[in-house]
Amino acid sequence: MARRYDARTTIFSPEGRLYQVEYAMEAISHAGTALGILASDGIVIAAEKKVTSKLLEQTTTSEKIYLLNDNVIGGVAGITADANILIYYARQVAQQYLYTYDEDIPVEQLVQKLCDLKQGYTQYGGLRPFGVSFIYAGYDSHHGFQLYRSDPSGNYGGWKATCIGANNASAQSLLKQDYKDDITLKEAKELAVKVLSKTMDSTTLSSEKLEFATVSRNDENKIAYHLYKPSEIDALLKEHNLGGQETEQ
Amino acid sequence: MSITQYNGGTILAMAGKNCVVIGSDKRLGVQNLTVSTEFQKIFPVTEKCYIGLPGLASDVQTLSELFRLKVNMYKLREEREIEPLTLANMISSTLYGRRFGPYFCEPIVAGLDKNNKPHIYGMDLIGCLNFPDDFTVAGCAEEALFGMCESLWEPDLEPDDLFETASQALLSAADRNSMVGWGAVIHTITPDRVITRTLKTRMVIYYISYI
Amino acid sequence: MEFLLGITGKDFVLTVSDTAAIRSIVVFKNNDDKSLDLNKHVVMLYSGNPGDTTHFAEYIQRNVKLYEIKNGIELTPKATATFTRRELATSLRSRKPYNVNLLIAGYDVTTSLPHLYWIDYLGTNATLPYAAHGYGAYYTLSILDKYHRPDISLDEAKAIVKKCIEELKTRFLFNLSGFKVKVTDKDGIREIEI
Repeated sequence: MARRYDARTTIFSPEGRLYQVEYAMEAISHAGTALGILASDGIVIAAEKKVTSKLLEQTTTSEKIYLLNDNVIGGVAGITADANILIYYARQVAQQYLYTYDEDIPVEQLVQKLCDLKQGYTQYGGLRPFGVSFIYAGYDSHHGFQLYRSDPSGNYGGWKATCIGANNASAQSLLKQDYKDDITLKEAKELAVKVLSKTMDSTTLSSEKLEFATVSRNDENKIAYHLYKPSEIDALLKEHNLGGQETEQ
Repeated sequence: MSITQYNGGTILAMAGKNCVVIGSDKRLGVQNLTVSTEFQKIFPVTEKCYIGLPGLASDVQTLSELFRLKVNMYKLREEREIEPLTLANMISSTLYGRRFGPYFCEPIVAGLDKNNKPHIYGMDLIGCLNFPDDFTVAGCAEEALFGMCESLWEPDLEPDDLFETASQALLSAADRNSMVGWGAVIHTITPDRVITRTLKTRMVIYYISYI
Repeated sequence: MEFLLGITGKDFVLTVSDTAAIRSIVVFKNNDDKSLDLNKHVVMLYSGNPGDTTHFAEYIQRNVKLYEIKNGIELTPKATATFTRRELATSLRSRKPYNVNLLIAGYDVTTSLPHLYWIDYLGTNATLPYAAHGYGAYYTLSILDKYHRPDISLDEAKAIVKKCIEELKTRFLFNLSGFKVKVTDKDGIREIEI
């Protein structure tokens, strides 16, 4: 029955569903987990890298967490090829805003622009939706630190802590359990690695399987992003007794 | 009078031993009337590379914003800083893109590359590049600056001496040109840091420091 | 013959525009308003070609409003000035450029600072503590050079404006019939008598 409605461009099924969009979301739920936690003094994004083969060269730079603008970083779950298109678009939108107004783009406007594009791909003929969900962490002078999540349908929302990708339901419930409204960035970082350690497939956590980034105020009280180097990730894991071989098998 | 001289302003860049300087005056005018004495004509691009944009102030601002956009996109895609030669070619092709309706601006690029080799580039308003290894000048006091640089510049100057040479050249040129002056900014770019100094030129008794 | 003036103080911007509508040797009107409130905290003064001025000012005003409706936040004075400058710079190389000179005055609620931008028809944008457009600039800028300080109070600013107007009345060949004075601060924009 479903085949009648999903072979061509996205149209509603008799039950009022958009199969293509649902399939896109299904694709994402197999991808590496990415989660974000909003703290009072910053935001953390952490993501799981799936190592497909030992022979595959490790990328020198990030593959799950990207810089979208000086004030916004994004975590990705889904088809990387699709994500690259959207990341390039987001960067262009942010730079275009800077060009027009000489100010950094407010976070929600960037999210909204991306979601407008995503939505278009659920409606217009001959196209399939983007198989990507995003987590956005950013700062602007209007609303301070903000965390957003978007999915292939073009829906987005602001979150205190959220998760996309594989095992997102269990990660989300772990976050719900342990999140406090006055959480600090330090506690948020701890929570992020703890949640990932429980939801990831692999038994041992290491910088090879993890990416980590924060947005916060630096020593000069300016907003700065920080993409963690492998050594910094290992140090963080060690601090919370999660790294290396000594964790549970 | 040419439209490139409507707002006044002038810029010079000099190369030394593992260092470069780039400097400009601070005036913005409408012909004889001075509008601002804090007008920015030199823009940082990376930690070791600056561009100077003398010419029609409207185009100076449009171009500085356009180059910022292009350099930011370059940095995000390449995940590294742009090199001076790459930047000069980017600027040149942007200007040539308006070959038959040009931006009225003659940019100067000054910086150190990843090996800390000094680079200075000049170009005309349609992007014809120049690769000097001593100095380059542009703007309203161009002629006077050429003369000053020609007689003061010598090879392999250390940062402090290079700064002194560029300052004397710029101040002498600015003081004899009514479209140029109201203070000057000079950036000395060295491998470890950039030193930015502001200078006074010949100006009225009370210097209205904050215009 | 039109005259626009702006002065920033400690926590406000004072703006003055003349109210004469002139064409050739005839004064058509002496209560012409040459300012437009763009949003709660940004006001724009304009002079130039009469058709262009009102059309351009309203075009900018509606774009600023649209941004507000679309995004639920106000454009800051700097963002407004940058946007407006770009519109003029783009227009300069179009088939028929706008001939409009502007002062944009605003109070930035995010940083609690007053701002004044001087923009000409070429698309030149200068951030200034005080600024003037028109022939009046040649008479009044020297007065402002002498008396202005960055931290002046509203009363001091008003006194300086009075000096400027006095000078125009004695030395300018044309009698500018009246002036409209506005103050922009944290509470918004209001018209005052001088």
